[in-house]
Amino acid sequence: MSAWMQYFKSIPTHMDYDGQARAEKLSRVIITLFGVVGLIWGYVIQQFSQTIYILGAGFVMAALITVPPWPMYRRKPLDWQKSQSEVTTKLKKKK
Amino acid sequence: MHTVLTRGNAILAYTLSVSACLTFCCFLSTVFIDYRANATLNTVKVIVKNVPDYSASREKNDLGYLTFDLKTDFLHLTPLFNWNVKQLFLYLTAEYQTQNNEFNQVVVWDKIVLRGDNAALDFKNMNTKYYFWDDGKGLRGNKNITLTLSWNIIPNAGLLPSVSALGSHTFAFPSEYTTLRV
Repeated sequence: MSAWMQYFKSIPTHMDYDGQARAEKLSRVIITLFGVVGLIWGYVIQQFSQTIYILGAGFVMAALITVPPWPMYRRKPLDWQKSQSEVTTKLKKKK
Repeated sequence: MHTVLTRGNAILAYTLSVSACLTFCCFLSTVFIDYRANATLNTVKVIVKNVPDYSASREKNDLGYLTFDLKTDFLHLTPLFNWNVKQLFLYLTAEYQTQNNEFNQVVVWDKIVLRGDNAALDFKNMNTKYYFWDDGKGLRGNKNITLTLSWNIIPNAGLLPSVSALGSHTFAFPSEYTTLRV
C-alpha cells in the first residue's frame, strides 16, 4: 500500500513559472481562435448556435491541452541553490 | 495558473468573456437591418353587433365581427430570419377613432412564426382570434377602421424591435346592427 502511495507522490504535478505563462497564453490563443472561426462560420451559415458550439469545442480543447500539468510545461525548472546542510545544523546548535 | 483548479477557472472565465463578445458581435451585425416588409390585408365579412359584454359590465357595447385575408410578402418576409432572430410574433391591430376616445387600438389576431417555419403566410377568410370590443358604441357606422399587421422580432441578443408592415387596410362597419347569429 505504501509503495503505491510512494508511486503516486513521485508523479510530478507542478508547472514551472515559464510553463504556467505558456499554458495561459496557449489557452487564450486557442479559445480566441475558435471564437473567431466560430463567429465567421456562424455568420456564413446564419446560425449563432454553431458559433457557440465551436467556442465550446475550443474550451474543451484548451482544457485538455492546458489544464493538466503536462511534462511540456516543466522544461525550465528554477535553479535552486543546493541545500546547505552545514549552515542549518550550526544554527540549530546555537539554539 | 499554478494548479489545475486555477487554470480551469481561468479558461472557463475567458471562454465566457469571449462568448459575451461574440454575442455582441452578432447583435452588432443585425442592429441596422431594416425589417420592414409588405403585407396585403383585406376584409371579407364585416358586421357589428350590440351585445352585453359580461366580462366587463352588463352594459351593451359594440362588438365587431370580421374575417380577413392576409398575405405576407414571400420574397421579403423570409430573409427576416437571420442568425439573430429566433421567432416573429405577428399581431393584427385595428385602429380607429370614436367619440369616446381619440385613438383606439384593438389586437384582434396574432401568430408566432418560428425560424424554419414557412413564413410566407397566405390566409383566406380567417376568423379573428380575440373579440373586437369597443368600450362603447363607437363601431356602428364607423367609416375609418384601419387594420395593420405588426411584428415583434425576438432575437438571440439585443433589441426587441417592433415593426409595422408596409401596407394596411381601411374598412367601414355597416350602419346597422346585426341581430342574427353569425
